[in-house]
Amino acid sequence: MAVSKLAYYPGCPSETHAIEQDMSTKAVFEKLGIELVEVEDWNCCGAAEAENPEMVYALNARNLAIAERDNLDMMVTSCSVCFYNLARTNEAYEKDAGLKDRMKAIDPALEYNGSVKAKHVVDVIVNEVGLDEIKKRIEKKIPVKVAPYYGCYMGRPSRLGFDDPDNPETMDKIIELLGGEVIPYSQMKAKCCGGPLMMTRSDLAFKMSKNLIDAAKARGADCIVTACPLCHMMLDAKQPDIEETFKVKLEMPVLYFTQILGLGLGIDPKKLGLNKNIVSTKAIEEKVI
Amino acid sequence: MAIKTWELDSNFKNEIAAMPGGEGIMKCFQCSTCTVGCPITELEPSYNPRKIIQMSLLGMKKEVLESEEIWLCAVCQTCSERCPQDVRISDLMGAIRRIAEKEAEEGKIELKGVRAIFEKAFMHQLEKFGRMYEIGLSMEYYKKAHGGFFAGMMAMQKDYQKLGMRFFKKGKMGPKSMFPDKIKRTGEVKKIFEKVGE
Repeated sequence: MAVSKLAYYPGCPSETHAIEQDMSTKAVFEKLGIELVEVEDWNCCGAAEAENPEMVYALNARNLAIAERDNLDMMVTSCSVCFYNLARTNEAYEKDAGLKDRMKAIDPALEYNGSVKAKHVVDVIVNEVGLDEIKKRIEKKIPVKVAPYYGCYMGRPSRLGFDDPDNPETMDKIIELLGGEVIPYSQMKAKCCGGPLMMTRSDLAFKMSKNLIDAAKARGADCIVTACPLCHMMLDAKQPDIEETFKVKLEMPVLYFTQILGLGLGIDPKKLGLNKNIVSTKAIEEKVI
Repeated sequence: MAIKTWELDSNFKNEIAAMPGGEGIMKCFQCSTCTVGCPITELEPSYNPRKIIQMSLLGMKKEVLESEEIWLCAVCQTCSERCPQDVRISDLMGAIRRIAEKEAEEGKIELKGVRAIFEKAFMHQLEKFGRMYEIGLSMEYYKKAHGGFFAGMMAMQKDYQKLGMRFFKKGKMGPKSMFPDKIKRTGEVKKIFEKVGE
């Protein structure tokens, strides 16, 4: 295994609605023997709301600089939006020769040399730890039908992403290793959930998320697996609101990627925060053998 | 709608091109790939990114900046990924929104919709605490989007009471989340806001 120690950027939802993602990420890396060093005093990445790219670069340069000073060369985050912002900041450092000095001029805390690679958790698991290593460590099988939902930034834009922009498959590979069956879902895998419009155009966001859940249901999925707290918020926490709006029953469990992987690695469901998902995950837990 | 040629602002495209993210606008050759694959257009056909670009190139500044459509993009990057001319439409919409906010602050145009209010409220939390404070964000957003504290709190309760209870029951919204999770060196983040602006 190539990695043994990583800077960990939890992102803001890790402390509130995505607490189970934070718990399961930590549990999985602990089980794999990889040390996560939380970025000291990290700040918000700007999410989708910081419209000024220079603002995004400054906010993320501060976090990357903290990891750089701690001599860490790779930062992992479990949020796709945070990943996108960290990755485009690094890209800007490569392409814009003046950026380093502009950032330093804001505050010495933003002195960053561009040496910290930003990676998504799924990328680290599949491409750094590797499928062979994961295969060796699997203790339990999870024979369920899964709709793998990737959302936007794992593959798009492709100059920053680590997976195919239209038909990503990194999570599929892990699900198959775990004994799960990936349902045909390629048309929905990377189609936006509407998350950024949740507060301002919830009518649109609800429809977009409902379409994703409907497609999973129609193809017989037992659960959806996702790896982004914003997608998870739409598909899981808001699922009862979507049901109420459209007067339908969906009852589709939505697990974080690290939760289903953790189950396969033999980690206790409580440690993975599975009791914190809004839609009950009991039916999935019961199928673990 | 007939175009009033005498009202066109031929410099608008240059203004957009000068903004970070807007650089690619002149490269657009109107093929519509962005619009055909857009998940928003699929549900709301009035959202037509190709048309917004063409209107901008023509100089229909006021119509573009006062349209509701510029606030509908979910920044999913599908259009940017598929664009044969590398226009980076998602980023371009962001540049147009920033011009709209600036012009609105100067009293030159009126913004449609509430997303600008939401984004501002989000950035205010970040500026104050260094991290997202969801309750602070919701209170500020609802108050401003619904024209006052009382109306805002009523609307917020309607939209979020059930979600809040769900979180509370699952231990995702304990007493700790009632208060902002402030970073230690907020001064460093405040400096970013002072020097970069929003």
